[in-house]
Amino acid sequence: MKKLYSNKPVIFSLILPGILVFLFAVLAPICLSIYYGFTDYSGMGEAHLVGFENYTNLFHDSAFGRSLRNSLLLAIGFICIQHPIAIIVAAVLDKLQGKAEGIFRCIYFIPNVISVAVIAYLWKFIYNPDFGLLNNILRAFGYTEKVNWLSQQNAIWSVLIVLIWHGFGWGMLIYYTGIKNIDPVLYEAASIDGANWWTTFFRITLPLMKPVIQINVTMAIISALKQMETVYLLTNGGPNNSTQFAANYLYQQAFKAFKYGYGNAIGVIFIVICILVTVALNTIFKDKQDA
Amino acid sequence: MKKKVIATLLTAAMMATMIAGCGSDKGSAPASGDAQNVQEQAAGGEKAAEPAGDSADAAGEASGGEVTIKLFSNLPDRKNGQGLVEQTIIDEYMAANPNVSIEVEALDEEAYKTKFKAYAMDGMPDVVSIWGQPSFLDEVLDAGVLAELNEEDYIDYSFIAGSLDGFKKDDKLYGLPRNTDIMLFYYNQKMFEDNGWEVPATYDDLMALCADIKDAGFTPVAMDGGDGWPMACFLTDILVQVAGVDYADIVSNAVATGDFGAPEIRQATQILVDSANAGMFQVGYDSQDYGTTMNLFTNGQAAMYCMGSWDCSMALNEDIAPEIRDNIRAFTMPTVDGGKGGANDIAAWNGGGYAVSANSAVKDEAIKFLNYMYQPDKLSKYGWENGVGLSAQDQTAYLTGNETELQKQVMDILKNATSISGTPINDCGPSAFKTAIESEIQGVSNGSTSVDDFLAAIGAACK
Repeated sequence: MKKLYSNKPVIFSLILPGILVFLFAVLAPICLSIYYGFTDYSGMGEAHLVGFENYTNLFHDSAFGRSLRNSLLLAIGFICIQHPIAIIVAAVLDKLQGKAEGIFRCIYFIPNVISVAVIAYLWKFIYNPDFGLLNNILRAFGYTEKVNWLSQQNAIWSVLIVLIWHGFGWGMLIYYTGIKNIDPVLYEAASIDGANWWTTFFRITLPLMKPVIQINVTMAIISALKQMETVYLLTNGGPNNSTQFAANYLYQQAFKAFKYGYGNAIGVIFIVICILVTVALNTIFKDKQDA
Repeated sequence: MKKKVIATLLTAAMMATMIAGCGSDKGSAPASGDAQNVQEQAAGGEKAAEPAGDSADAAGEASGGEVTIKLFSNLPDRKNGQGLVEQTIIDEYMAANPNVSIEVEALDEEAYKTKFKAYAMDGMPDVVSIWGQPSFLDEVLDAGVLAELNEEDYIDYSFIAGSLDGFKKDDKLYGLPRNTDIMLFYYNQKMFEDNGWEVPATYDDLMALCADIKDAGFTPVAMDGGDGWPMACFLTDILVQVAGVDYADIVSNAVATGDFGAPEIRQATQILVDSANAGMFQVGYDSQDYGTTMNLFTNGQAAMYCMGSWDCSMALNEDIAPEIRDNIRAFTMPTVDGGKGGANDIAAWNGGGYAVSANSAVKDEAIKFLNYMYQPDKLSKYGWENGVGLSAQDQTAYLTGNETELQKQVMDILKNATSISGTPINDCGPSAFKTAIESEIQGVSNGSTSVDDFLAAIGAACK
């Protein structure tokens, strides 16, 4: 076996499929995107090189700016709201033990199992001003005014709530697995020393969960940047781009506005931002680990 | 040695999967795709077992005159409305021409337009749905993917005057229109009578009526603002009343120069903004979709519903309660005080239609089928019988006497029209302009963008 693994042609043939996939499914499209980003290609006919025009337009495009701001808001929402709750819920679940643990774990994970299309329409109905659940609840409490949850001002917050709620199960499950991997002996020792739940949580659970938190935060930020399908189905970026996200905006420009070149320029900026964010996160976490 | 063999086999298996994945599948491309979205219809199911795509054509042609025409349609519902009409004609054609089989691929409008573009880059199906409007057709004709049709062939097809204009470029015809669309206010006649409301004659009357309806606890006008285009059509309707027959010139001039500062456009936009401010539409109209909006009207929560004449089929829709269904009537945009438009100057156009691919291998057969569809007793007649609205051809010969009140009303509106606007404003410019105006109109109507900013933003999208 050892001999086999040091045989260069075998190694080469084993990694070749992976390299080919990377070359043709990742690298080549990125290179094409960079090329098309410098053209006025409409998706049909001929492409003409226009230099940096798409990029200069992009920096003056308020809708693109808003989509980046919305991605940032979502990332903050994930990190400051979704994840703290997810960790606490995971820790509580771990303490529940028995049947209740399994039942609640399933319940919290249900939103992730349901298709995005169903989730989007479910919330569309919940937010509907005429027959939606939220306004009916308000009416039951005597507030008869019809609240427009998806108005220009409110829509982004309503969308954030859906996204945070929808992604909650994954975060919780990963934290839960992390907590399960902590050696129970530590908890036993702590309880012998008289530590209460909060102390155990802050002194044992949280510090030992650091690598899990790092992975989860990185994934949260990337998923905030990549957000597309829920927004597309829930508001399609409207009203007037108030809930626009970069990926959805890219789709609209490339495939609805027939500005394929411009769409590719958005894609390139998008890749650059993703790389920068990942590098920044790695640096931050690395510093902490060293310290 | 044994391990070496296993490793080699594993590698070979991996390579095989890779090569299969990378393999070119150009020939079968139009027939493959997402199984859920693609509907394939083949003659009597016989074709279904045959290999798809070019190989089938080749085999067919060798065995003597067999032809497969691929039709790419934007009507995925083949059991109702316009999709049923299209399918009926296809079935008839295949029955009359046993050597021809027609394969249909149908997607809804947005997915259709996206895939249309992909096809335009790499071989189009033979017959395709198109829209005779600059926002769609300009780029398509520039790419040269549609076959030129001979206009003389259609002299006896009784197309309504001017209806072919949108499908022409440099006086050459590239497609044929299917419908005549009119912008309408549908209203619930019974609700109007019960409350003593009357069909408004002027826009001021309309505003007063909306206030009364609101006081009575109903939504005055159900508006699909989430999609953007119905509101752009509404703006078109107001602009036709403000500018009268000058509408088309004002809009084409604005699109050409990127300057939407014309007083008529400004006034029409202001009227739209004032109406939305006064609560003419339902709460949250700017984020609600087509179905939700239509339901408001068909459930009796809204007294009026602003949409095109294609929704006349509501009067035949069994899912709508009879007391509402039988009481749906329509009127056109009332006159605007000081506007140049009269009561019979209407916002109407010929949008959707069909064309033949320029590079089709069976171009002659495809054009023959296209011409068959447009024989006056086909699309027009069946469309009328199925209540899908008005066709782009003269339909008077096919009146059955069993028309719904709504159908008769809409027929009269068209008959009495003194002028017809042509393409709605959002479809008059390039598709970047269409995307911009359909988004910006939400902002200006809900008050988050000023009229000046709105006009500047849509102007910028034309440049």
